[in-house]
Amino acid sequence: MATEEDIPRIQLGDYIVIQRQKYTKLQKFGSLDTTATLGKETLELKSLLDQPYGSTFKMCVKETKPGKRGAQRQHTLELCSETELRSTREVLGISSSGADNRDIRDDGEAQTLKPEDIAQLREECNDSSKIIEKLVENSKTFHNRTEYSQEKYLLKKEKKYFEFVQIRQPTIRLMLDIFYRQDSEKVMGIRVDTLSQIISYSGVCGFGSYLLYESGTNGLLPAAMLNSIGAGTEGTLVHMHPGNVPQKQALSALKLPLEQQQRCVSVNLYSVLREFYQGGDAKATDIPVVEPSENEPQETQLETPTEEQPEAIEPTTKKPKLDESNSGREGAKGPPRWHLENKRATALMHAEFDSLVVAAKEHPSNILQALLPLVKPSRPVVVFSTCKELLQETFMELKTTGKVTGLHLTSNWLRTYQILPNRTHPEVNMSGNSGYLLTGYTLR
Amino acid sequence: MSFLKPKTHIEKGDVVILYLSVSSMHAIEAVPEIVNKKGETIPHIFQTNYGSLKVENIIGVEYGSKVELSKGWAHVLQPTPELWTQTLPHRTQIIYTPDISMIIHQLEVRPGAVVVESGTGSGSLSHYFLRALKPTGHLHTFDFHEARADQARDEFRRHGIADFVTVYHRDVCNLGFGAELDGKADAVFLDLPAPDLAVPHAFKALKLSGGRFCSFSPCIEQSQRCIQELTKLGFNEIVSLEVLQQENVVKTRTLPVIDLEFLKLPKTDETTAATNALESKAPKEVKKYLTSSNPQTLPGHTGFLTFATLPPNIPKA
Repeated sequence: MATEEDIPRIQLGDYIVIQRQKYTKLQKFGSLDTTATLGKETLELKSLLDQPYGSTFKMCVKETKPGKRGAQRQHTLELCSETELRSTREVLGISSSGADNRDIRDDGEAQTLKPEDIAQLREECNDSSKIIEKLVENSKTFHNRTEYSQEKYLLKKEKKYFEFVQIRQPTIRLMLDIFYRQDSEKVMGIRVDTLSQIISYSGVCGFGSYLLYESGTNGLLPAAMLNSIGAGTEGTLVHMHPGNVPQKQALSALKLPLEQQQRCVSVNLYSVLREFYQGGDAKATDIPVVEPSENEPQETQLETPTEEQPEAIEPTTKKPKLDESNSGREGAKGPPRWHLENKRATALMHAEFDSLVVAAKEHPSNILQALLPLVKPSRPVVVFSTCKELLQETFMELKTTGKVTGLHLTSNWLRTYQILPNRTHPEVNMSGNSGYLLTGYTLR
Repeated sequence: MSFLKPKTHIEKGDVVILYLSVSSMHAIEAVPEIVNKKGETIPHIFQTNYGSLKVENIIGVEYGSKVELSKGWAHVLQPTPELWTQTLPHRTQIIYTPDISMIIHQLEVRPGAVVVESGTGSGSLSHYFLRALKPTGHLHTFDFHEARADQARDEFRRHGIADFVTVYHRDVCNLGFGAELDGKADAVFLDLPAPDLAVPHAFKALKLSGGRFCSFSPCIEQSQRCIQELTKLGFNEIVSLEVLQQENVVKTRTLPVIDLEFLKLPKTDETTAATNALESKAPKEVKKYLTSSNPQTLPGHTGFLTFATLPPNIPKA
């Protein structure tokens, strides 16, 4: 029991990762009435509250409605033990198989159950193994298939009828998989191998002060860097962005301790540089003026929904803070929050940084020109771009300045493998573009 | 002492990277004197292709500075695991940054993590683990070769990161990681000839709340046996992959341009004379392009990385 208490539990307001076999989805557990949609399945999440992360739940059909693309099913979730999860082959006790497919014909009559029969079966049974058992019983060809073919058939059916989901705690690794799969543009095309190398080459860790300029990774890059800085350390991160409000979904989902979150200072690139160069005391009352940017309208629109939802959903216990921030916004009682952030960032800029990471939709040259002087000598610099040509130009510019050495322009080839007994091979498809990294070290 | 945290100046005893060119870097210890083969104490003078360096002269210098050699110059850099991987003394074959960065990411190592590693080898990966998990985490690293374990222990001490690592001399395939590490690890990494023999021990070492596993294997048969063992014990999310980094060499290329338009008109006696005169005098037209290309040799294979997750609450008999 003592050990059980170590596992964190699911709370209201948490972001959770819902996993059904290999499919994962990021969902905010905003209230007891929140539902999650996985394809045609709608899950009521209320029974998740206070269960430990990593728990497995069974989807129990509560209601079925006809929809345009077939039946939509609403489920409640019941906690279950790991022992309920067993190999379908094991459960069904399949033992006979054929040697080859020379006598198997595709006449469309192998399955004697009709679609209506299967739909009814689905209504009555919660167990995928029972449904699949019926399908196997009524398949004329199943036992003539090879063992591998049977395995493949069962896997395919299981994928369709599988009734268990696992609730996991979000991590950088899981979130990157989700974002990249949904829409790689959401994270600027930064693939898993590229992100891991950005973290490695930049040297971000619990000691030091780090500078990041990022314009459009849904907050994943600052979240990954802050994750590497860690809780209860002395590391700090200045995160510069081109818009008024930084993207922070990934950061919110990680649920880092407040102390750790506060060691990330997110500032607008233009206003913080103006303050750094001109000294800002006289302009304390100014509203930050954002320079014209093509990306600006899009990002503002993207951010607005994210900003509104958390505030609306916020639990009662957090209202005192809301009052505090309200009083802050009025301006009568002190400078606005962004101004304080600029102050903190400016102080760190004067103290100089131990690493610089740039992942920009814009051309990196001017950004580097402005930010490189803020980095101490003998420190790593990492620039990401989806296009090699931009980094080629940047390479030549940096080489000419003599301020950076050890420049490398790299990309990756990432291949995944299916490894099973007697059927081991590379996966048929692979991702084609890792983007490019330009890395080097600053000099005095 | 220079691996612990960012520094600005070289201190006595620091390991310093002497950077001569992209393909020529050396790690030297910043001590004024060394002991030679005869047991005598002599000034520490480091020899390079561009001349010699009196090591005493770099103590107190700011990292990132240019330093004079007797026939040239070099830059001094503070070591990072990435630079150390390029310059460390090899006691074994080692893993490099493209694989290592994926390992750190997939094992979800961050400050506070407890990591078990075997074998230690030359300590290449160990330095990355230590950077990622300090100041509140700990690395337990095992090697069954006594001299290698001793050398690694000494190296960590000289690098200033001994507080975060314990080196064990132990055959983990036969003896496991020891009862004191049962249920303690957030992540286990194996770089062993027979990783399947160590999987049950990794299973025991991981926490009841779950954890991550990784094995690095050059051969696919090693990965196959490892995965069979992982599956048996209840690991899931089993993924095998391979990362190969490609360098792009950036160069400005000057290309000559051929003009073929004049061939469309017949030669006349008048134009023949003029053309001959032009050809002998006028320089050929050329254009410049910024290009990149792959180097002649690229890594074609390093190893298969197999990752897995141990779910929470799996009982360990």
